[in-house]
Amino acid sequence: MFNFQKRLIQIQAFAFKNWVITKRNVFSLSEILFWPLIGLFSVGLLSVFLGLDQQMTGFVLIGIISMSLIQVCQIDVAYALLYDLWSKSMKHTFIAPIYPYQLISGAWLIGMGRSFVVFVLLSLISQIAFGFNVYQPGIFFSFLHLVGLFFISLMIGIGVCILVLLFGYKAEVAAWSITSLMALVCGLYYPVTILPSSVQTLARVLPLTYFLESYRSFYGFGGERISLLGKGFGLIALYLALEAPLLKWVIGHARRKGTFMKLSE
Amino acid sequence: MFLAIHAKEIHKTFQSGCWKKRKKAALQGIDLQVRQGEIFGILGPNGAGKTTLLSILSTLLLPDRGEIHILGLDSIREGHRIREMINLSSGNANFLWSLKVEEVLHFFGMLYGLSGKERKARVESLIQMFELGEHREVSFDRLSTGMKQRLSLAKSLMNDPALLLLDEPTVGLDPNVSIHIRNQIQMLQRSRGMTILLTTHNMKEAEFLCDRIAFLKEGRIQALGTAQSLKKMIRIGDLIKIQYRGEVMEESLLRFEGVINYSISDGLCEIMVDDAEKRVGSLIAQLVRDGTHIQNVNVEQTNLEDVFVQFSKEVDSDPSFCV
Repeated sequence: MFNFQKRLIQIQAFAFKNWVITKRNVFSLSEILFWPLIGLFSVGLLSVFLGLDQQMTGFVLIGIISMSLIQVCQIDVAYALLYDLWSKSMKHTFIAPIYPYQLISGAWLIGMGRSFVVFVLLSLISQIAFGFNVYQPGIFFSFLHLVGLFFISLMIGIGVCILVLLFGYKAEVAAWSITSLMALVCGLYYPVTILPSSVQTLARVLPLTYFLESYRSFYGFGGERISLLGKGFGLIALYLALEAPLLKWVIGHARRKGTFMKLSE
Repeated sequence: MFLAIHAKEIHKTFQSGCWKKRKKAALQGIDLQVRQGEIFGILGPNGAGKTTLLSILSTLLLPDRGEIHILGLDSIREGHRIREMINLSSGNANFLWSLKVEEVLHFFGMLYGLSGKERKARVESLIQMFELGEHREVSFDRLSTGMKQRLSLAKSLMNDPALLLLDEPTVGLDPNVSIHIRNQIQMLQRSRGMTILLTTHNMKEAEFLCDRIAFLKEGRIQALGTAQSLKKMIRIGDLIKIQYRGEVMEESLLRFEGVINYSISDGLCEIMVDDAEKRVGSLIAQLVRDGTHIQNVNVEQTNLEDVFVQFSKEVDSDPSFCV
C-alpha cells in the first residue's frame, strides 16, 4: 500500500509541474483559449462563406474540434520532457527514482484536464455561432470519442518524448508538427477517400481516421461506428504496447549515451 | 569498513561525428573506493573525466565496462534502488524557471514519493537550513547565483541521501557564499554521517573539506590520498625564507634532517624542507647556535594547488600513486 501511494505521489509530481507552469504561463493559456478559438472561427466562417449545409459544416467542425483537443493534450504529455529540456534540468528528473509511466501519466492528467476545457469551450461556441451540436451522438459516444482522442494524444506525446530523448533539441519541433501531419493524412477537413491510395493506406493505420469517421457517422456520413471505434482503440492499444518498451529502451539508451547530462548543460 | 562506492575498472568512451568515427576515451580503467561517511574529492583539469565519473556514479550515465557498487548495490542492475538513496547537486544549477523556491522543493519531494505532511516538514526544514525563507515565493529565474546554488543543495537533501554527489558546488559564487556552502557541506557530513563525493577546481575547498582526494587526468586516477599525503608524494617541499645578518653555516644545513635544497644570497637564505611545520623551530635554533642573526622568517608551505599543477604536468610513464 505504501509503495502504491508513493508511486501515485510521483505521478502527482509531474501533474504538479505541468499545472504550475500552465497557470503561470500566458503562452499556455493561449494554447487553451486563443489558438483553438482562432481555428474554430476560421473553419466555421469559411464554411459559412462557402455556403456549406449543416451536415458539411458539422463534418469540418468535428475535425477542427478533435484536432484542437489532441493538440492541447499531446503537448502536455510532451511537456513532461520539453520543460526539462528547455530549463536544462533533465538530469535532476532522471536521477530521481521514477518510472517512465509516472513521467507520462502525470503530464497526461493535466493534458486531459486542459483539453477537456477546450472541448467544452469549442462545443459551446460551435453551438452558439454555427448551430452545430457536438453532443448529437449522445453522452456515451461523445465520451468514447473523447477517450479515444485522449489516448491518441498520449500516443503522440510519448512519440515526441522518444524523439526528444533520441535527438534532443532537434526533435522539439515534432511536438507541433506530428499533429499537423496527422491532420493532413487522417482527413480532418475531408474524407480520406479523396487521398491518393498510398496515403489512404497510411491513414488506415492511424487511429484518428477511425475516430473521426465513427463520430461523423452520427451526422449522416455512413460507416459502422462500433467497428470503426473498435479499430481505433485496437490501433491505439497496439501503438501504446509498442511505445512503452520503446520509451524504456530510449531512456536506457540515453543513460548509455550521456543524453541527460548533455541536455542539462 | 563499509564502502559507499566501490568501482572497478570503469571505462567510458564517447563517440561522435559521422558514423561515430570520432572517439574520446573519457574514463580509462578507474578504480575507486569511497568509505561510508567520508568526504571524497575528485580534482583534475578540464576534460579529465570528473563529470563523467560523477554521472556514472549517479547512474545518469552507464559505463561501457566495469563494475560499480553504490551503497552495496550493483549500479547497473539496481539503478532504481540506488536512485532512492543518492542525490546530486551541481554548480550552475538549473530548475524549471517559473517554479518558486518552495515549489521546486515540493516538486522534488513528490518525485521522491514524500507524502503531504512529511514533504511539508522536510521542505520547511531545508528552507530553514539553507536560509531560503525570504525567497520562498521567488521564482527560480529571479534568484541570484548563490541562492540558486543553495536551492540546488537543499533539493539534493530532499530524500535524505546516504550518498551525496556534488559537482563543483561553489563554482561562480562569491567567496562569502562559498564559505557558507562549504560549512554546510561539512556540517552535513558531521551531523548526518553522509558520504559526500565532490568534484572541484578549488584546491582550498578540496583541502578544507575532503578526507581524501583523487587526482584525475585523461580519464585515469593519477594519485589518491589525503591532502597531506599528496603533498608529500610529489616532494615539492615547503620553503623557509630567512633574512639574516652575519653568516649561515652551510655544513649545518647539509647535515640538517629534512632539508631538500637551499640557496644563500645577500642576507637571504631560502631552505627547502620536507615539512616546514616540523622543521622550522629546530632549524632556526641551529642557525642561532651557529651565530647567525635571524631578522625575519617566512614560511611558504606547499599547497594543494602546487600538487595539482605538478600532477597536471606529469607524464604518463607511471601514472598512479596511492597512499
